[in-house]
Amino acid sequence: MSVAGNLRKLMAFFHRDFAIARGYRGALVLETFEALFGVATYYYLSLFVQSPELTNALPAGSNYFAFALVGFAFFDYLNVSIDAFDTSLNEAMQNRTLEALLVTQTPLPLILAGSAIYPFVTLALRTCVYLAWAALLFGFAPRSANWPGAAAVLLASVLAFSGLGVLSASYQILFKRGNPAKWIVLGVSGLLGGMMYPISVLPRPLQLVAHLIPVTYSLEGMRAALLDSAGWNRIGPSVLALLAFAAILLPLSFSVFAWALNRTRVTGTLTHI
Amino acid sequence: MNDSRVITVESIEKSFPPALSGWRALLQPVAKATETALSGVSFSVGAGEAVALMGPNGAGKSTLLRILATLIIPTRGRATLGGFDVEGKSAEARKQFGYHTGGDEGFYSRLTARANLTFFASMNNITRERAAERIARISEWMGLGHDLDRQVRTLSTGMTHRLGLARAMLHEPGILLLDEPTRSLDPIAASEFRRLLKDEIVRREGTTLLFASHTPREVEEIADRVVLLDEGRVVANETPQRLCASAGTRTLDEAIGRLVRHPVHAESVQ
Repeated sequence: MSVAGNLRKLMAFFHRDFAIARGYRGALVLETFEALFGVATYYYLSLFVQSPELTNALPAGSNYFAFALVGFAFFDYLNVSIDAFDTSLNEAMQNRTLEALLVTQTPLPLILAGSAIYPFVTLALRTCVYLAWAALLFGFAPRSANWPGAAAVLLASVLAFSGLGVLSASYQILFKRGNPAKWIVLGVSGLLGGMMYPISVLPRPLQLVAHLIPVTYSLEGMRAALLDSAGWNRIGPSVLALLAFAAILLPLSFSVFAWALNRTRVTGTLTHI
Repeated sequence: MNDSRVITVESIEKSFPPALSGWRALLQPVAKATETALSGVSFSVGAGEAVALMGPNGAGKSTLLRILATLIIPTRGRATLGGFDVEGKSAEARKQFGYHTGGDEGFYSRLTARANLTFFASMNNITRERAAERIARISEWMGLGHDLDRQVRTLSTGMTHRLGLARAMLHEPGILLLDEPTRSLDPIAASEFRRLLKDEIVRREGTTLLFASHTPREVEEIADRVVLLDEGRVVANETPQRLCASAGTRTLDEAIGRLVRHPVHAESVQ
């Protein structure tokens, strides 16, 4: 199958999911306002926790609201990366479309990738909505942000996180429910990745662990690019670290996924719920 | 190999691991396969033939169809569709067949019938233009034309069955694999569906049909030949008429009852 053919298929997945989402227009509107509630919560929390010590620990020129907003908005990329693959798999098993898809001329990895496009596109829009609410109502002003740098960090992050997502999907097709990999990754990343507080406040041993998880580099790079107008010399190490994670996680996760897929075809449980 | 054989099943065996529960469920993916579903099943189907797989529940009909549909890997043996090994050349094998199970699920219920067919057409490498042509043609001879732009959730069970068959036929496969195609249809819809299969798909299109069924009347109407399975083995491989003669009965129903209760190997029946 040619690259153009695969791209056509990926677009077909996007059209499918967009058409389904259009059937639930009310939910789209509600999500926009849900983002407002999230942003407002962080804004008022930031008013409460302001202190000179905290300000010293944050990137120069930023405040806790901007720090938490970027953490909160971009941690979602880890969430969606891990969730998108196994959610699409789960939905296909639940509505019995998985079997119909598996007998087509589209391999399962492409089915998973295609099903993840719509969640990523809506996530990008949601991020814009978060930032727009914050800028419109709460004084968030990333005027001198390094946008190309932020885009590079985002792309490298999605690649690294997708490796974790494919591992999570491997667990899902083998065991169907109760995915501990997802909760471990999200729990550890939420605790140690610097979403709500800088990792400098953690005990030294936990700071070392924090540097072993990709989301730490993602949030560091993103905050440097958006809040500190950092150049490539500061963003580069975060991007390289994320690409290194991707170089390890993607081949590993695809190997694990191929093994898991083969096992379920042997055990006959591929389409079981 | 005889060129007219488009489906070959050679000594297929399939065993599954037992379902494990509790913490042992974590070992399910590597559990030893001890439960036998198929034991050395062999037969072939010629081009344009309509062959029914019959047998009691648990005989192995669905397992065999799922092996042919590349959804399950056999434990031993070999099967080919259009000359392509379903295990070693599964991508090529998938181009040869359409597969439909008798349920009315497996569609995106919020999308229209047309949007569903267009999506599955693109999954089978069919361009949008070609898909539009195929959908128009298939929906015309399947009587789906007026319902193409309705959401699938509003279609009747019978129409959804037809939609499933239309999806299986989109990429013009030479082989159609159907698992209990008239399950859950009322008698009139089932009769119409059987007419569609025999007259339009097998006779007019020349499609080779292998279908699992529990309904003797359906088999008598559609099938040129019956492969009767019992406990994972072929106990008969005959035309419906010769099957009755072999079993010394007047009806297919009685013949199956007799053969399944007193299994004999296909060779001795032949």
